[in-house]
Amino acid sequence: MNVLFAIATGLMFGMGIFQILRRDLIKAAMGFYILFTAINLLFLAVGAYDGVIPAYTYASVRDSRQVSDPLVQALILTAIVISFGSYALLLGLIAISSRRFKTIDSDELDHLKG
Amino acid sequence: MDFFVVIAAPFVMALCIMFIRAHLRSEQQGWLLSALFAVSFVGLLTRLPDLQQNGAFVVSFDWMPQIGLALSLYVDGLALLFGLVVTGIASVVFFYAGYYLDEKQTAGRFFALLLAFTGSMMLLILSGNLLTLFIAWELTSIISFLLISFKGTDAKARRGASQALVITGGGGLALLIGLLMVGHTTGSMEFSTLLTSGDLLRESPLYTAFTFLIVLGCFAKSAQFPLHFWLPDAMSAPTPASAFLHSATMVKAGIYLLARFYPILGDTELWTLLLSGAGLTTMLLGAVLALRQRDLKGMLAYSTISQLGGLVALIGLPHAEGLKAAMIGVLAHALYKCTLFLVVGAVDHATGTRIIHELGGLHRSMRGFAIVTAMAGLSMAGVPPLLGFLGKETLLEAFITQPIVIVTAVISAILTVTLALRLFVDVFLGERGSPPPEIEHPDYDPQHPLGDDAEDYNYDHMPPRLMVAGPAVLATLSLILGLGIKPLVEPLVELAVQKDVSLYLFPPAGINLAFLLSMTALTLGALLFAVRRYWLAWSFPQVVTGPQIYAQAIARVEQLADYLLKSQGGKIRYYLVAILASVIFLLLGVITNVDQMGIRNLSINIANVADGLKAILLMLALGTTLASILFERHLIAALSLGIAGYAIGGIFLLEPAPDVALVQFLVETLATVLIIVILARTSEEERRKAMSRLWGQTNSGLVRDLAISTAFGAAVMIFALAAVSNRPTPNPVVAWHIENALPLLGVNDVAAGIITDFRGTDTLIEITVFGMAALGILTLLARPNPGKTMRLFPWQAEVPDPNPVKEALQQDAEEPETLTYRPRFNDSILEVMAVPLLPISMMIALAHLLYAGAGPGDGFTAGVICGLGITLWYVVFGYEETKRRVRWLHPPLFIGAGMLIAFVNAIVPLFFGREFLAFTPFTGISVANIKLASSLIFEVGICLAVFGGISAILEAINHPREVDPL
Repeated sequence: MNVLFAIATGLMFGMGIFQILRRDLIKAAMGFYILFTAINLLFLAVGAYDGVIPAYTYASVRDSRQVSDPLVQALILTAIVISFGSYALLLGLIAISSRRFKTIDSDELDHLKG
Repeated sequence: MDFFVVIAAPFVMALCIMFIRAHLRSEQQGWLLSALFAVSFVGLLTRLPDLQQNGAFVVSFDWMPQIGLALSLYVDGLALLFGLVVTGIASVVFFYAGYYLDEKQTAGRFFALLLAFTGSMMLLILSGNLLTLFIAWELTSIISFLLISFKGTDAKARRGASQALVITGGGGLALLIGLLMVGHTTGSMEFSTLLTSGDLLRESPLYTAFTFLIVLGCFAKSAQFPLHFWLPDAMSAPTPASAFLHSATMVKAGIYLLARFYPILGDTELWTLLLSGAGLTTMLLGAVLALRQRDLKGMLAYSTISQLGGLVALIGLPHAEGLKAAMIGVLAHALYKCTLFLVVGAVDHATGTRIIHELGGLHRSMRGFAIVTAMAGLSMAGVPPLLGFLGKETLLEAFITQPIVIVTAVISAILTVTLALRLFVDVFLGERGSPPPEIEHPDYDPQHPLGDDAEDYNYDHMPPRLMVAGPAVLATLSLILGLGIKPLVEPLVELAVQKDVSLYLFPPAGINLAFLLSMTALTLGALLFAVRRYWLAWSFPQVVTGPQIYAQAIARVEQLADYLLKSQGGKIRYYLVAILASVIFLLLGVITNVDQMGIRNLSINIANVADGLKAILLMLALGTTLASILFERHLIAALSLGIAGYAIGGIFLLEPAPDVALVQFLVETLATVLIIVILARTSEEERRKAMSRLWGQTNSGLVRDLAISTAFGAAVMIFALAAVSNRPTPNPVVAWHIENALPLLGVNDVAAGIITDFRGTDTLIEITVFGMAALGILTLLARPNPGKTMRLFPWQAEVPDPNPVKEALQQDAEEPETLTYRPRFNDSILEVMAVPLLPISMMIALAHLLYAGAGPGDGFTAGVICGLGITLWYVVFGYEETKRRVRWLHPPLFIGAGMLIAFVNAIVPLFFGREFLAFTPFTGISVANIKLASSLIFEVGICLAVFGGISAILEAINHPREVDPL
C-alpha cells in the first residue's frame, strides 16, 4: 500500500512542477499547492506503522493491533498549516502584482530584464 | 605592554582626530600627532638594551585558538629596527603634513587615515602570529587605497588606487595561501615556533608552493618586477602619503616579511633564484625608467622601485651575506627617500608644478630646501660620510661574489647617481621655466605646458618656514648616522641580523674592491649627468607595459559583466527553468543509480477494504489534480484541486489518522475559498486573456516543461520508494510516545499530546511562521501610505488616490443609524443563516480547545474553524459590514496575543526551575471530564494566532482600497 503512496507522490510532484512552470500565475500558485500536498502524502507513506487503529490510548482501543503512527501525524499537521500559510502569501503576492501590473501573465513581468 | 600601546595608540588617535579636527588648525594637528610618534620612537629606542640582553620579546593572547589566531607580539632586532623607522618617519611626516594641508577638515580626515595606516604598519611589524600579520597586511593595502584616492574627484587617482588595491590585494591572497600552508606544515602560526622550524619547512614537499606564494605576495607589495607598475600610478596620493607609504613604510613591508622569513625559508636555490632574479631585474629597470620620467614624483617612485629591487636581491643572497646590507639599506633609503619626497611636495606646493622642465633656479627662494635636497641627494648617490654611502658600500661588498650581479649593481648605482644629480641641479640650480635650448624633448611644447596646473611660480605661496624642519631633520639624521656609525648604527644592525657586524666608513684594511667600485660609480654617474643633453631625448621602443596588460584585463572583466547582465531576460519562468534544470543535474545521480537506492518489497498488496478505499481515493486525487492542470478555466481548476485535497483528507481518515484528516479538510476548504476570492478580485478581462492564451504555450516550451517535470517526478518517486522500503518498523521513538501520552500528559489523543507537549517547540515556531506570513499579506495588500498610493517601482506613473485614507477611516469609525449597506447577494436566506454561523463556529472551536486531548481537534482546528466562520462573513457581507459587526477583530492584535500567550506559557516554567514548555496539570479542576492543564493555555494561544492569521489574510484580500475599479 505504501508503494502506491510513493508512486502517487512521484506523479503528483511531477504534476506540481509542471504547473509551476506555467505562464499563468494563478495556475502556477496552484502548482505549489500540489507540491505541498504531494509531500504531505509522502510523510504519511513513511510513517512507521501500517496502522489499523488510530493513535488513541482509550482502554477499549489499546490492544495488540497496530497503532497508526502519531508522530508522523503531528508532523503532517504542522506541515499542512505552514504550507497553507505560504500558499496564502503566494496568492497575496500574485493578487498584488496583478493589481499593480494589470496582468497575470508572468512573461509580462520582466522588470528584472538586464 | 608598551608595545601594545604603540600599536593601539594610532588607532585611538585616528578616532579622536575625527572629533577634534574642527577645533585645531592643521598645523596644530600635525604637531600633536608628531609628538605622539616621537614619544613612541623614544619608547622603542629605550627597549634596545633590553632586547640586546634578553633576546626577543614574546607575548601572546589567544584570540581564536581553533584556527591558531592569537594576538601575539614578537619583537626582536628586526622588528625594532623597522619599528623605529616607521615611528621616526611618521613623526616627521605628520609634522610636515600639518603644513602641507591647508584646510583643517581635510587635514583631519587625512590624518585619521594616516594614523590608521601607521597603526596597521606597527601591528604588522610587531606581530608574532602569521594571521595577525596578514590582517595588518591587508589593512595597509586597504588604507593605502583610501589614501591614494584621497582626492576622490580625480579619475586618475581613483584608477591608480584601484589598480594598487587589485595588485597588492591579489598578492595578499597568494600570501594568505602561502602562510596557511606554512602554518599547516609546522602546526603553529606563531613566529616563536616557526623561527625554529626552518629545516622542517625546507624539507617539506610543499616548499616550492608556499615559498613561491609568499614571495609573490611580498613582490606585489614591494613593487618588484613584474608587479611593479602600480607604484608610479599610486603617486596621485597627496605627497605626505606618498612619502610615508610608498617610500618608507608600506613598500618596506615586503622587505620586512622576506627578512623575517629568511631564517625559515631562505638559503635554498629557489629562494636565491626568485629573489635575486626579480630583485636585480627590478633594480636595473627602475633605475633606467627613473631617468625617463618628467614628473618629479615619478622619478622618485621608480628610484624607490630600483632600491627595493636591490634590497630584495640582497636578501636573496645565500648564507645571510646580504642581510646586513639590507638592514642598512632600509635605514638609509627611508631617510633620504622620505626627505626627497617631502621636498618635492614643498616644491609642488610653492610652484604648482612637478614637471622637471618647468622647474629650476629655486635655490634663491627655497634655500633651506635646497640644502636639504643636497644632503639627501648625496646620501642617495652614496657619497661619504652620509649613511647612503654605507648602504651602497655594504651592498656592493655583498654582491661581489657573482660577476653578473655586481655589474648590474654598478650600472644601477651609476644611474642612481645621475638621477640624484638631476634632482638637485635641474630643480634648484640653473634658471627656471624653459629647458636649456639644446635639449629637444619630444613631448615638450612651451605653448602647452605638461602636467597638472602649470602656472607661473606663485611666490606668495612659498612654503611656511617650518615646513623645511621635517626634511631637514631626516637629512641631518642621514649625516649624523653616517658619521656616528659605531655607536648608533651598529647596535641596531647587529641586533637585527643577530650576528656580529663591523661597520666602517673607510675600510680599515685599506682600499678594497667595493670602495673602488663605489667611487667609480660616483664618477661615471657624474659624467653621465654632465652629458645628459644628449641622451635625455632618446626614445624607447614601444613594449607592452604592465599598466596596459592590467587595463586590458579589467576591460575584459567588465565586458563579461556586461554580457551577463544583458543575458538576463527577466522572465520568471526562465529563471525557474534554470534553477530546476540545475537541480535535475544534481539529481542525476539519483535517477541513474536506481539499483543502489535500496528499493525492495515492491509489492502492492491491498489487504482489506480500507486499503482498497485508499487506493480509490488516491486515484481520485491524482485524477483531479490532472484535471486541474488540464482545465483552462480558473474556477473549475480551483475546484478540482479542492476535490483532490478532500480525497487526500479521506486517505488520512482511512489511515486512520483523524486529527490530520480534520485539519486537512478544514485547510483545504479554506484554501479553495481563498483562491476563489482571489479570482474574484482579479480582473475578469485579464483572466479571460490568460485562459485563452496561456495554456497553449509553444510546443517546444511544453516539451521542455514536460521533460523537467518528468525528471523531477521520477527522482522523487525513486526517493519515495526508497524511503518507503527502508523505514524502520517498529520505531522505538513512536512506541515511547504512545506509552507515555496517558501517564505523563493525561491525554488520550497521542497526536495532540505530541503537538502541544512532546514536540511543543515545533508548534511554537509554526505559529510564529504562520503569523508572519499572515502579517506579510496584510502589509502587502492593505496598508497604503496615507495620502499616497503605493508605488512599487519608481517608473510607475503616479495614480491619484480616489479615496484618501482619512475619509475611509472616518467611514470605518462612524456608527450608522440604520443598516446602510447594500447586500451583496440577492439571497436573504443566505444572510440570515450566515449570521449565527460565526458564533456557532466559535463554540465548536471552544469544544475543540477543551477536548483537545480527548479526540480529534486541537488549537489549530479551533483557529481554522473560527477562520472559516469569519471567511463566510466576509464573503456574504463584504468588507465594511463585517468590520462593522466584528469591530473587536483586529487581526494583528490576535496574532500577537496568541503568540504572546503561547510563549509566556512556555517560559513561565523556567522561573520555577523546570524546563521550557514543561507540562503542568491543573489538578482539582475537573468539569465534565475536561482535564485542564497548561497545554490548554498553549492551545488557546495557537487558536488565537491561527484565527488572527486567517482573518488577516481575508481582511487583506477583501480590503476595498485595494479593489481597483476595473
